[in-house]
Amino acid sequence: MKSKKIITLALAAAMVCTSAVSVYAAELTNTNQEGQTEVKARIDGSVTGDVTYVIEIPDVVDFGTLTMPENTTEDSFRDVVTHVTAKTITNLDEETQKISVYVRDKDATSEDSDFRITNKVDSSKKFNYDVYDVTENLDTTQSVNSSPMTSSIGFKIAEFIHEGEIQDLTLRLNQHDLCDYNITEIVGDYSGYMVFYSMLENQ
Amino acid sequence: MNNNNEKSRKKTIIIILLLIILAGCIVTLVVLVRSLTEEKRPVENAKGVVGTIVDNWDPNVSRPDERSDQKKGTMIPGYSSATMNEGDTSLKLSVGNPKENTVGFFATVKLADGTVLYTSPLLKPGQGLEEIPLNKSLSKGTYNAIVFYQCVLLDEEHTPLNAAESAFTLIVN
Repeated sequence: MKSKKIITLALAAAMVCTSAVSVYAAELTNTNQEGQTEVKARIDGSVTGDVTYVIEIPDVVDFGTLTMPENTTEDSFRDVVTHVTAKTITNLDEETQKISVYVRDKDATSEDSDFRITNKVDSSKKFNYDVYDVTENLDTTQSVNSSPMTSSIGFKIAEFIHEGEIQDLTLRLNQHDLCDYNITEIVGDYSGYMVFYSMLENQ
Repeated sequence: MNNNNEKSRKKTIIIILLLIILAGCIVTLVVLVRSLTEEKRPVENAKGVVGTIVDNWDPNVSRPDERSDQKKGTMIPGYSSATMNEGDTSLKLSVGNPKENTVGFFATVKLADGTVLYTSPLLKPGQGLEEIPLNKSLSKGTYNAIVFYQCVLLDEEHTPLNAAESAFTLIVN
């Protein structure tokens, strides 16, 4: 009887050990989805994992050679026109879905969403620029970044439904900002980088 | 005499059972420790399809006529969704650099919370892969994920250019 008890206890202990292994194996990684609360739309009819659209974005932010304006009391805008294009879209439900495109500065945060170009040698030298989703009448149009960014993915600049749709953009830098500096302090090459975020959304 | 034999037999049984329990505990410990360490080790590229970068990657989407008046930019692939099973170590997701581009890509697949699932080497135009090895497996659920494409010049320094993020829904069954 005593030996039977011992055997029973031993078997129970062995079972506890093996069940601990299977329980741990079932625990997988973090499923935290903080950052975005909206589950995006899906395109029916497409093979999961396949490319369903292709957009074209500009390679660089290039204002060329900036110059100190002679008139230091007036604005002196340098405008660069670029665009984002829906090159291809497949199986989109045109009644209910769209491809949305957002843009932000590479270094944008919730506290600082300005677009800027930075001196490649001295990162303390920076100049802001604005982004417009039009190419005309900029003086009477608000830039897309006129208010702080409300989403971490950027400012919305385009919604595409059909292939070939183009969203023109104007990047505007005011050379008047250079007047706050001695020219010798700010000479050099400047660069700025944008991040274009695209997603399928319901209309 | 019989009593002694009986006692001796019982002792033997007890020792054997204790050894079995000890063996079970050691196995359990080894499995647990392995699980902990394997989670941190990235999945090695499998031989064959998973993780294999091909030179003729094609997103299989139609190509409308090029407009000659528009300056060419960089083509960025976008996605609707991708599906995998719980515990999978790879994901069927077509990640690549369209052949029309003149720049390189470094692609990173990650969840909205920043968890990195895969990082590619430099993808030249026309290069890509159809199935990516995952740094970690995921539990059942629906995740917001992105493919982050860092565009670079094809110079020695891989001079950075503008970047893109293509969001998609990752479904784990």
